[in-house]
Amino acid sequence: MDPSRYADLFRTESREQLSALNRALLALEQGEPTREPVDAIFRGVHTIKGMSATMGYTAVAEFSHELESLLEKVRDGEQGISPELMDALFAAADALEDGIEQAREGGAMSEAMRRALERLHDVAGGRSTAEFRAVRMSGAMAVPVEARPEARPEARAEARAAAAEESLAGEGVLVEVTQEPAAPLPGVRAFMAVQRLRELGVIRACVPPVEALQAATTPQRFRVLLDTSAGAAEIERAVRSAGDVASVRVERRDVAPPPTRDAPPRDRRITDQLGLDELGRPIDRAPAARARHVRIELSRLDSLLNLIGELVIVRGRLQALTRPVPDPALQETMEAATRLIADLQSEIMTSRLVPVGQVFDRFPRLVRDVARQLGKDVLFTIEGKEIELDRSVLDEIGEPVVHLLRNAVDHGLELPAVREAAGKARAGRLTLAAQRDRSSVVIVVRDDGRGIDRARVLARAIALGLVEAGTVRLDDDTLLRCIAHPGFSTAEKVTDVSGRGVGIDAVQARTRALGGALEIETAAGLGTTVTIRLPVTLAIVRALLARVGTERYALPMTHVRETMERAPAVIRRMQGREMLLLRDEVLPVLRLREVVQLPWDRAVGTEEIVVIERGDRRAGLVVDELTGQEDIVVKSFDGVRAGSSLFSGATILADGAPALIVDVGSLL
Amino acid sequence: MAPTVLICDDAIFMRTMVGDILQQAGFDIVGEAETGTQAVEKYKQLRPDLVTMDIVMPDMGGIDAVREITKFDPNARVLMCSAMGQQSLVVEAIQAGAKDFVVKPFQPSRVLEAVQRVLG
Repeated sequence: MDPSRYADLFRTESREQLSALNRALLALEQGEPTREPVDAIFRGVHTIKGMSATMGYTAVAEFSHELESLLEKVRDGEQGISPELMDALFAAADALEDGIEQAREGGAMSEAMRRALERLHDVAGGRSTAEFRAVRMSGAMAVPVEARPEARPEARAEARAAAAEESLAGEGVLVEVTQEPAAPLPGVRAFMAVQRLRELGVIRACVPPVEALQAATTPQRFRVLLDTSAGAAEIERAVRSAGDVASVRVERRDVAPPPTRDAPPRDRRITDQLGLDELGRPIDRAPAARARHVRIELSRLDSLLNLIGELVIVRGRLQALTRPVPDPALQETMEAATRLIADLQSEIMTSRLVPVGQVFDRFPRLVRDVARQLGKDVLFTIEGKEIELDRSVLDEIGEPVVHLLRNAVDHGLELPAVREAAGKARAGRLTLAAQRDRSSVVIVVRDDGRGIDRARVLARAIALGLVEAGTVRLDDDTLLRCIAHPGFSTAEKVTDVSGRGVGIDAVQARTRALGGALEIETAAGLGTTVTIRLPVTLAIVRALLARVGTERYALPMTHVRETMERAPAVIRRMQGREMLLLRDEVLPVLRLREVVQLPWDRAVGTEEIVVIERGDRRAGLVVDELTGQEDIVVKSFDGVRAGSSLFSGATILADGAPALIVDVGSLL
Repeated sequence: MAPTVLICDDAIFMRTMVGDILQQAGFDIVGEAETGTQAVEKYKQLRPDLVTMDIVMPDMGGIDAVREITKFDPNARVLMCSAMGQQSLVVEAIQAGAKDFVVKPFQPSRVLEAVQRVLG
């Protein structure tokens, strides 16, 4: 068997185990009263040990073995839990993670792993480093089962040996068993051999005694005096069935047949029943409830996605080509193909969805570390872990969310004393929540910290010329625009003041590249909430196609509320600005022609209006013509990430022409 | 008919590896369980010829699962999968009714030898 086939599986699963382990460490630190966290930590380490030993990753195996031994002490109550121990355990979890990531390269334990173990041993006051080194050098994987300490070993041993020889001298069958030299857990094998003999008769004596055999860590030679009527062959068979037996010698000491036990050996009965239940009926082996999961390489899902993307484009072209052909059979077939492709697309999209918990689960640990480092007290909660997002969206959004969490702890939440002085709870609240909202997923990072200092952001914004000199107040949107302005955040002062300046531009760029939008709400003294709105899936979105002059643009439906033909009546000039009267609402009007900076053209006939929205903000977007709806395949381009582009990507339309995708969210 | 087996381990990695070994030896993997509770439920439902059982699992451990399974079916054939250093636990598992054991890291030949012994 080639273990390299399992290397990926090892990595994936070890990461999952580590994530569970970190969760359990946090629960333990927060003083969860049950045994469960300790048990869970123990299990995680144990599983990693088993897997790494199987893979031949000795560094990880030895490390987890050491860690497991210490955890045993904690589990058995020999080792108390202190903040120092928790820190050492967290550090060990980190070292273990590094070890797992580097396991494939092989080699001995890294310096970091060794340091983590030494720290653990220091804190636990257990073995000294020197002793630990000795154990590690010997490569001992198995926990040595301690021989029971004796007061005066030699004298006691001699007396015992004499007594043992005597005990074997009686009547019966003497069975001498020698175990295989390479037997793993020989003590258990010896125990099993004795047990098999017991099924054949009565054991009069056993040398060494069963308890000692059971605890043996090296292969043994042992002798059993047995009262039985079983023949030598049967005895030998029974002993060998215990496994790892090198040789058996059977010697009958007396001709007098001893009484037998009439219990038939269990194993034989079992063999006879293969495939039958206790009434002799064939057992129904309907394939009920089998495991129904397979693991698939992410790259494979990606290539499926690309293929379906191409297929959707081809379908669009095919539809355009077949539409004018008056052939019912062709139309019917085209319709069927369209339906199947839509189903296929939705299946592929669904298969890519994963719960956000997969990424969010590592955040409690991160928040804890940042909080501890800064001396803050943080109550961190995660809501909506089960909400699903496309795997690649989730991967992309992890980093921005980390950014927001760090900022919240670093700059948003105050030190415990400051909070108390302000009449707040010592511990700051930080919440990360995921919610489903129609075809979007909303991710919210909310803290109850000091909020962003608008006055100082305003001063800075005026100095940089981001807002007009006379501005007296920044609303939330302008505030976001300012602090997300590249260059704004690099100013040292602002990080002290706003707390949110650092990297917000990066967060916004990433969000927009994913076709999402960022919002911020902040109140002095009460805290800040940042909302990231994301499409559930990337790559293929439903879009409205709008024409301006000869150019066409795609408007993702996520942000489209309704469309209407422009009747002259609905747009009014109010205070020098065009406004759209929509039922009982008055909305600002934007012209896509102006937005994309095309020259004015008198030849435009009927214009059409798209009502776009983001959150509770709406506007009417005027275009020359709406040419239809289409599933478009989003191709992101690098320009989007770099600057404040109007476009979130590009696409190829059904007729083969390229079109830009308008980032509607940014218009509002 | 190929003998049937139920594989119980909380690690997919281990289930895959044991599954591969047994499948190559002609076994029909009829079920997998990630916890002791699942193992007991699935045993009752599937009545496999062989059960491979990890010792350390969440919820209900392997030893308790063996106890439950043996209570339900005294003829159940359970093979314990143990890590090194679990000597006393394995003894406990054997006392609880397990028929044999293998030690991780698994060598296919050792696993199959143990399976042969268990199935008699």
